Amino acid sequence: MSEYIKLDSEKISEAVKTIQDFGGTGILKCVQCGACSAVCPGVKAGFPVLCRLLIKKVLNGQLEEIIEETSTWGCQACNRCTEICPQGVRPQEVVFAFRRYQANDLAFSTSAMTSQMNLHSYGHAVFTDATELRKKVGLPPEAPTSAYNEKAQKEIQTLLENSPMGELGLY
Amino acid sequence: MEKLGLYLGCNIPFKAPDIEQSFRKIFPALGVEIEDLEGATCCPAWGTAPSFDLDTWCTISSRNITLAEDKGIDIMTGCNSCYGVMNEAKHFIEDSPDRKKRVNANLKTIDREYKGTSNVFHVSHVLYEKVGPEKIKESLVYSLDGLKVAIQPGCHILWPSDVYPVQEKNSFFPTILKELTQALGADVPHYSRLEFCCGMGGMRSTDVEKSLKLFTDKLMSMKEEIDPDMIVTTCSSCFLQFDMSQQILKERGVIDFSIPVFYYTQVLALALGFDPAQVAAISQTPRDEMIAEIQSDKRKIQK
Repeated sequence: MSEYIKLDSEKISEAVKTIQDFGGTGILKCVQCGACSAVCPGVKAGFPVLCRLLIKKVLNGQLEEIIEETSTWGCQACNRCTEICPQGVRPQEVVFAFRRYQANDLAFSTSAMTSQMNLHSYGHAVFTDATELRKKVGLPPEAPTSAYNEKAQKEIQTLLENSPMGELGLY
Repeated sequence: MEKLGLYLGCNIPFKAPDIEQSFRKIFPALGVEIEDLEGATCCPAWGTAPSFDLDTWCTISSRNITLAEDKGIDIMTGCNSCYGVMNEAKHFIEDSPDRKKRVNANLKTIDREYKGTSNVFHVSHVLYEKVGPEKIKESLVYSLDGLKVAIQPGCHILWPSDVYPVQEKNSFFPTILKELTQALGADVPHYSRLEFCCGMGGMRSTDVEKSLKLFTDKLMSMKEEIDPDMIVTTCSSCFLQFDMSQQILKERGVIDFSIPVFYYTQVLALALGFDPAQVAAISQTPRDEMIAEIQSDKRKIQK
């Protein structure tokens, strides 16, 4: 039996405004042609609610209903969708706007916390002690990045703590 | 000699420093001076600030760009994701005077200002546009003549083409890496899934099985259509995926072969005669035999 959706104009306006405010400014240009989904590696891999379908659900006002949806976190940010979209929607910007909506309600995988903590502590989302590996290939043990630079770490911590990310209690 | 700021990102200095060493060897040898961007941070990666707040993303990216602006030079990065993230941030900042004001207000708290005077290039663009395939060809000590290479350009240097300083003629049929690899003397046949995603990135951290499914399609396309001697990429994330995941598929009995994988500058460094113990020392997928083949006496170019 098919699932019927009761459209609610207030919910639709609110959903569209939320996504636009988070950066998905082109969402209303979408005509649901599906070109984005046809080239999306996430859709090909089996994440269902990406590109066309994600946009459709937002345009139906179903924002809250899909807040726990994990498909958006499978987006590779490759921007094939943006390149191919004939309407100038820039679908990746919509996908990331939806991610921001989710993230600001902390609706993301706890596994993503490590990269946020690493970014705050070392200035790197991916950080491992590579001292031995670096010496092995003839490089100085410490990379010339924020990982070993106290001033740079202080700078990124100041920027993150004073940003909306700082208000989420991530650090 | 042209001078560029070397932006390392995260994968290269901490997971594959032999790629970093290959940059440090080849660029001065080819007439490009590289200067470290001391204190550079993550670009920031897609799963971090870009997934939370657009202005914070632009602020952190632009802080990295100010490091190059302070030196009056452009940026060169070897990571496709960093190339994409920082160029898109530049696009978002320069597209909106209000955002630029907000970003600079954020940067003011750490005594920095984004001016927009430095471009962000990828290593492959520097090799293709500033060095050129001809100069690469003339500099070779060893030739890859007769070796068959499957290339993997990666996603984030291709799309969205409208925000990038260097573009392919057709981003769905990219040719820059192909020409750079042909300059080494290698054969680079086309395979049907050339521009397909390898499954690394957010997909791998969200659902490793889906990521491996995509990777298997890509790998099998290379194997069945062209049966390459090696895989060459200019994306550090693609490099890690091809290097790590072939071993997983082998352990699971999904494949009974393995194909050596190199970042482009590693294979170029080998062809220029640099020490493999420095420029191609770290991999899970075996590649010693291929390294010995590349640097064998029979491949030495008589000048």
